[in-house]
Amino acid sequence: MRLAVLGFLGAASVLAQDVPLDPRSSISINFAKDSPVAVLNVATGESRATARGAALVLDLHMSLTLRNLSASRIHGVTLRVVAQEVTLGGKGSVAYPSLNVGPGEAFPVRIDMQLVRPTQAAAGPLVEVNLDGVLFQDLSFYGPDRLNSRRTMTAWEMEAQRDREHFKRVLAQNGADGLRHELIESLARQAERPQLDVRVARGGPAVSSAAAGAERTEQFAFLKFPDAPVEPVEGWAQLAGNEVRAPRIEVLNKSSKAIKYVELGWLVSDQKGQQYMAASLPAADPALYLPPGRTARVLQETALRFSRSGQPVSIQGMTGFVSEVEFADGKVWVPNRQNLENALLLKVLPPSNEEQRLSDLYRTKGIGALIEELRKF
Amino acid sequence: MKHPDGATLALHAGGDLGPIARWRTRHHLAKCGDCRDEVARFRGVRAILPELAETPEISWNRLAAEMKANIRLGLAAGECVRTGPTPWRETPLFTRARAAVAFASVVVLLFAGLVLEHPGPGAPSYDGVVVQTTANGIQVREGGQALRLLHSGAQNVQYSVGAQGSMRARYVDPETGYVTINNVYAD
Repeated sequence: MRLAVLGFLGAASVLAQDVPLDPRSSISINFAKDSPVAVLNVATGESRATARGAALVLDLHMSLTLRNLSASRIHGVTLRVVAQEVTLGGKGSVAYPSLNVGPGEAFPVRIDMQLVRPTQAAAGPLVEVNLDGVLFQDLSFYGPDRLNSRRTMTAWEMEAQRDREHFKRVLAQNGADGLRHELIESLARQAERPQLDVRVARGGPAVSSAAAGAERTEQFAFLKFPDAPVEPVEGWAQLAGNEVRAPRIEVLNKSSKAIKYVELGWLVSDQKGQQYMAASLPAADPALYLPPGRTARVLQETALRFSRSGQPVSIQGMTGFVSEVEFADGKVWVPNRQNLENALLLKVLPPSNEEQRLSDLYRTKGIGALIEELRKF
Repeated sequence: MKHPDGATLALHAGGDLGPIARWRTRHHLAKCGDCRDEVARFRGVRAILPELAETPEISWNRLAAEMKANIRLGLAAGECVRTGPTPWRETPLFTRARAAVAFASVVVLLFAGLVLEHPGPGAPSYDGVVVQTTANGIQVREGGQALRLLHSGAQNVQYSVGAQGSMRARYVDPETGYVTINNVYAD
């Protein structure tokens, strides 16, 4: 018996060989020669590779120090991290919005991820880190943009400008006490915001949950913003218990400009009427072109399953609203603060990147540090 | 003079020696009076042996008869109290009980096959590419492969889902102070 246990432990140790990663040979950082940021330093002290059966598990804990080589202030960076191109399990990205890095300044970024790739494909660098995009203060962009980082970071920057202006206005009108009260309310909203555990499946069975009952077609209700360039017309999805699949919404371009991307926010409500932010619903067609006055359909062939604290949450209703629009000229529209407050969406939606950053700054360093930060913009 | 031992004299008294041993013993007895007296004593004992053997023979026979009678009594009593089925050789090959047992065995076999073919929730099952939250991160997985982005130690993590098959975890890095957004993609 003892020999069997020792043999098992020995085999397990062989199967789970744990070795530190050599950054020079295992990680390849590929920034183009004309990149506006350069890598000053790479530290991978805690990164390790563990063989588990036929797969290689990479625990990556990289700290990079980047320098702004451009003449503009950088407001966002997205790094693309690839362990393998072909099979799933190796693609992710780490984005850093709400930056404010001046020319020549250095800034640290961290990457903590666990990648899986077949051991037989272990020749060459285990991980590649590429620059997918850099967003500057004037909303100009640099990068290959394979992850649509330009549009994503531009929308984040629009939201950041919106929320900074909001807090600046509160400071100007109500002083430091008013700003403090506003930040305390924001932190309370973030803590109390109801969140669901969402599981998104592509390509699998549509309805497989034990909690799912008979499937039915459920119509969307809509929140409409007066200044939105796009208006949702009608929409529906297949609903069964705690699973919703195949959402599709028809939208109308009511602006005077052509539109190339639409994204809707998707709320669901449970049996008690509690609303949750379920997901964003982006247009699936990468070649979307929606002229003024025309309609298009936003749809996704996926299935979403909702739960909370491990228990299925039965979905009773769905609400949609336009959350992001990109025009053909590259400009991006996001809802203004008044729209969100009027529709009571602030209690349901997550805070913007900038509101989260500023409220965290207030929480950790106080109102003085927050006011000083707002004055930088 | 060398005398024959007692066993030889006893056998000679009973007439049980072989021809050569009997000739040699008789030749000795012709010359030795002590051995002739010894043989005479053996012949005297032999004369009374049939009387000694008669009593034990009667006792053993009686005992054997009693034992046979007891065995027969036991078998008869066993037949009287038997309630189970008759010996299998006296019953038909196919009975309801046997058919029920055989059917139950087949059902158990089929059920075991189904369980092995379609494992329960504890075993991973293929349901396409899935993105979901984990205890301290987000992950995208397909079958046995997975990519997990961790935010251990981070507070106030905000999750958002893209219906096209993506997931984000956003938090303020406690070391750098920067907002960090981890993304995983299903395609």
